[in-house]
Amino acid sequence: MASTKLYTAIYVVLFVFATVQALVEEAGWLGGSDTLYWAAFAVIIVLSLIKAVIVAGYYQHLKWEPRSVSYVIGTGLIAALALTIAAAYSIT
Amino acid sequence: MTDDTPDDGSIETDGGHATEELPAGEDHDDHGLPPMSSVKRWFLTTNHKDIGILYIGTALFFLVFGGILALLMRIQLWAPRAPGEGLLGPLAYNQAVSAHGLLMVFWFISPFAFGFANYVVPLQIGAKDLAFPRLNALSYWLYLFSGLLFGVSFFQKATFSGGWTMYAPLNIPAYTPEVGATTAILALVMFVASVTVSSVNFLTTMHRWRAEDLRLRDLPLFSSSILLTVWMMLFAFAALLAALIVLSADRLLGTTYFVTQEGGSLLWAHLFWFFGHPEVYIVFFPALGVMAEVFQTFTGKRIVGRKWFVAAMVLVALQSFVVWMHHMFLTAINLQIKTLFMATTIGISLPFDLMVFALIYTLIKGRIRFTTPFLFSFGALLLFIIGGITGVFLGAVVLDYEFRGTYWVVAHFHYVMVGGATALFGALYYWYPKITGKMYDEFLGKVHFALYFVGFNLLYFPMFLAWQTPRRVFDYNPAYTPWHRLATIGGFILAVSFLVMFYNLYRSLQTGADADDNPWEYSSTAEWAISSPPPLENFPGLPSYKGGKLNFVSKVTGGATDGGEVTDGGTAVATAAGAGHGTAAATAHEEEHASHASFWPFLLSLAGFLTFVGVSGINKGGLYTPLAAVGGLGVAGSLVGMAREPFTVPSPELAEKWPFDGVEDMKLGMWIFLASDVVLFGAFIGSYLFMRVAEGWRNWHHLIPADHVVMPGLINTYLLLTSSFAVVLAMVAAERGSNKGVVASLVATLALGIGFLINKGIEWQHLFHVHSEAFPEGWELSTNIASSTFYLTTGLHGAHVIVGLLITLYMIPRAWRGAYSGNDKPIEYFGLYWHFVDIVWLFLFPLFYIL
Amino acid sequence: MTGEPAVPETALGLVAQAGGLVPRGTRVEVFNRIYWVFLILGTLVGIVVISYMLWKAYKYRDTGERPAEDEDEDDDRPTLGELPTGSGGGKKLFLSFALSTIIVVSLILWTYGTLLYVEGKTTQDSADQIEVTVEGYQFGWRFIYPNGHRSTTLRVPEDKTVKLKVTSTDVFHNFGIPELKVKSDAIPGQETETWFVAEETGNYTAKCYELCGSGHSYMQADVIVMEQSEYQDWYSQTTPAPEENDSGPESGEGESTETGGESE
Repeated sequence: MASTKLYTAIYVVLFVFATVQALVEEAGWLGGSDTLYWAAFAVIIVLSLIKAVIVAGYYQHLKWEPRSVSYVIGTGLIAALALTIAAAYSIT
Repeated sequence: MTDDTPDDGSIETDGGHATEELPAGEDHDDHGLPPMSSVKRWFLTTNHKDIGILYIGTALFFLVFGGILALLMRIQLWAPRAPGEGLLGPLAYNQAVSAHGLLMVFWFISPFAFGFANYVVPLQIGAKDLAFPRLNALSYWLYLFSGLLFGVSFFQKATFSGGWTMYAPLNIPAYTPEVGATTAILALVMFVASVTVSSVNFLTTMHRWRAEDLRLRDLPLFSSSILLTVWMMLFAFAALLAALIVLSADRLLGTTYFVTQEGGSLLWAHLFWFFGHPEVYIVFFPALGVMAEVFQTFTGKRIVGRKWFVAAMVLVALQSFVVWMHHMFLTAINLQIKTLFMATTIGISLPFDLMVFALIYTLIKGRIRFTTPFLFSFGALLLFIIGGITGVFLGAVVLDYEFRGTYWVVAHFHYVMVGGATALFGALYYWYPKITGKMYDEFLGKVHFALYFVGFNLLYFPMFLAWQTPRRVFDYNPAYTPWHRLATIGGFILAVSFLVMFYNLYRSLQTGADADDNPWEYSSTAEWAISSPPPLENFPGLPSYKGGKLNFVSKVTGGATDGGEVTDGGTAVATAAGAGHGTAAATAHEEEHASHASFWPFLLSLAGFLTFVGVSGINKGGLYTPLAAVGGLGVAGSLVGMAREPFTVPSPELAEKWPFDGVEDMKLGMWIFLASDVVLFGAFIGSYLFMRVAEGWRNWHHLIPADHVVMPGLINTYLLLTSSFAVVLAMVAAERGSNKGVVASLVATLALGIGFLINKGIEWQHLFHVHSEAFPEGWELSTNIASSTFYLTTGLHGAHVIVGLLITLYMIPRAWRGAYSGNDKPIEYFGLYWHFVDIVWLFLFPLFYIL
Repeated sequence: MTGEPAVPETALGLVAQAGGLVPRGTRVEVFNRIYWVFLILGTLVGIVVISYMLWKAYKYRDTGERPAEDEDEDDDRPTLGELPTGSGGGKKLFLSFALSTIIVVSLILWTYGTLLYVEGKTTQDSADQIEVTVEGYQFGWRFIYPNGHRSTTLRVPEDKTVKLKVTSTDVFHNFGIPELKVKSDAIPGQETETWFVAEETGNYTAKCYELCGSGHSYMQADVIVMEQSEYQDWYSQTTPAPEENDSGPESGEGESTETGGESE
């Protein structure tokens, strides 16, 4: 497993990413044109994804577990995404 | 519910596993469990076989319950009725329709199958029990009490009357205001809790407790079917849970999901059918597994194309999650998605063709003995063929348009579902000698089958002929009266057939001939290699498939390797690892004695039952509120009691554990639970996104007051991130054996979590009482869909935080006493949960605060 | 996968629509043609498969005789405690599987052409059709004509495409006229579209096909198909419903606004 130093570094990164997400809002991109809105949307969601992967990988030690554990979680995630995307698409 | 998992005690021992050879039925074999004749045993037992029997018995009770409702309906349908005519009034008829469906689908078929799964799967895979025996007992008691809760709903004015599909918005109090309707929904919530606990348990067991050299692909087909069923259950029921929680909130807290004009009604349909279609296979797969086993035994042939049979099942299990919209072809979904789901629907029908042909070809060159179990399995296959062919009609969208909502659908799915149940009745006869040690009466069994098969077809086939009758009506075209009468007669014949069955089961128990260990020629699975009934710990040694054949390793092999004894957050025992190994076998044996009795699962479920009864009418006041409070206290007390109870479960060392080698049972259980929680939150977030798309993505802002700002969310993000870090530090401290460090870190976690909740409380209070132009009345749960999704989704997350904090609160004094120094496992398991809660927030924060 | 979102323009759609194979016409014609093909083929397949199954089960019934010595390949029977394996016979299995796949897939593809035709009709606009909005409520149906006329009886001309926009003012209903083979979900907040052509004048009944509450069994409406000229006469005399009747399920109940134009 990782050292306390690495855990701390990760904590700092997470902290910074959260701040950046709030700053994007502060910058007013979200009130702007559609293009700007969706660009900001992408940035914010990608940051959340990175944060999630880091927490799962290091704090939850998925990095050191057999891959199969990640697949189990991934399956749940795919199921939820399938539901969300197909349902939302069906009414467009 | 969320915190069940970490409570089970689990002890990992090393290879020095002392398995004694004990003749069946000896007294000290029962490890403190009263004998089977004692009523007390059945409340205490955590043994998988006992629980299997309890499941089977209870499921049969609900079969009778749901069956009587069906007979009431069939009486009502004897002739087309004017309002108020006949046995049942309009609302009573709707209740009967709804309760019949819910009881049969949820409280009968699946639990019936899981009675057999409980009994047989551990035997087939060579496990002494399930991995978490107390959780298994908990699953059963939650199941029983959820069913009783459903029964209570009949006495609260009326039970739910909106059909088993519970379509929105008929399912909200504006249209179904009865308290009993809420109770029925809560009964389903409780049932899903039972299913989730059970899924985690079965998956952990089947993946990590298999006998040596029994690879996953070598599982007997019944066990394979159960394994796939449980995987589907894990994910599908999580989506149902989301739907039910939202519905409960709409009914009790006044959220507005399903009354929302834009998308509310469709949201329910999506959530329900995302669960509902896999549910069809969840119901049917165990029956398929039974058919495969029974066919192999009574044809004396191994199944044709076994590999492909298994592959087909895997394919169906995967695809079952992408066919749900074929239940919605007539809703406002677009043509593209209809086409896609038409394709996936054909896709999923094909593997079934293969399985059916495989079963049929297995007959060839067999030595077929037409025993009762075989007759039922054979009959089931025949019925399934009819159900399958009529299902293809529904796969053609243009035909589906016309069949929708008619008796064609009713007939089709009864042929499939009750067809499946047919095989399960075969299973009852097949395993009866194993479970009871007595042979059933073959003649009566055949009489049962004859009546059953005739009754079944008389009941359901005329429904195809009268297919233009709309579902769930009792005033139909008089031209169909003969068909409906025939169906009613068939229904009563079917009912009579069960009287024969019950008589046979009862009579054979008293006077039946003693059954051999293996009464069936050509049976091959492991349950037939041990006595009937099997002893408490199943095997006369360690089962192993080394050398390609089942044998029992009777003696301790190694015994010197040091076993790390792992206890969970619950158990107070923390003896030194491996003490006594190799020195005094008796001592080791004493220590590793598996526990088999616990009263807590029963108490916990009883308390949960009271809580739900209280909650059902919480808005009515009166006795309901105190009842909910008492129940809640009981739940908390039982959880602590269960956590503190020493309960030993030796995990098998010599076992096949692919693909989860090196992930202990507790950890795997936690991960599997989290996977279902991913779907739960995913469905919540998905609901939010769906409603937002329906509303118009960027229009959403108009539904939110300006006071809803980023800052509180950001602060809470910081707090949760920091608390996650604190849990990591707690684990590091535990690794280093620093008691103080563990306590300090846990206290920090607790403080940060409380800070999170306080901050949230302040924020909510503020939003509740905003007075802006757009929201003069404040922004409350019932204000609009944006407030509903915001409060309910973040509220569900908040509930997870509270559960986490309660666990922390429990762990801190234990840490103080040094329970975790040198043993960081419990902290790690808790951390998995806590970090997951953190991750969820990482998505809720941008979705609900920023975007 | 065949599951690519397909619109009429895609190859799949073109193939399916090719030739005169694809049933078209009224909903009744389309349904009947497809239904009978499915029914005949389905019955045939069912009879063949079930007879085969019964025959084999009978043929290989255990007679109690056990071949004593010459139990070579024929007697490779399952034994207790073996690791499960399968029997041979895979070739036959795949042959039948392939056959069933071909039958099922071609049947569904064939009907897909009709689906495109049926769906296409709802988006087409032509002068030669009438359009009626259907509102379900607990427990009845309200029909709203383009001129604002409301009624609980649906009157339509024969031999004309009638387009329906179906919705609900309370719970989930499903509007269907069984004899005319038209059906659509009535969902609050959503509008679904469908169409039908009635070829013969007469009285029909519309019913609700989704459980919607205590009056579900009786949630019906009369559908009257009139001769075209008669319909014209009737329609020209209708007037928009008075404003105050606009809310509440009671509005439009009874046919106060129509006096003349009764057929027969």
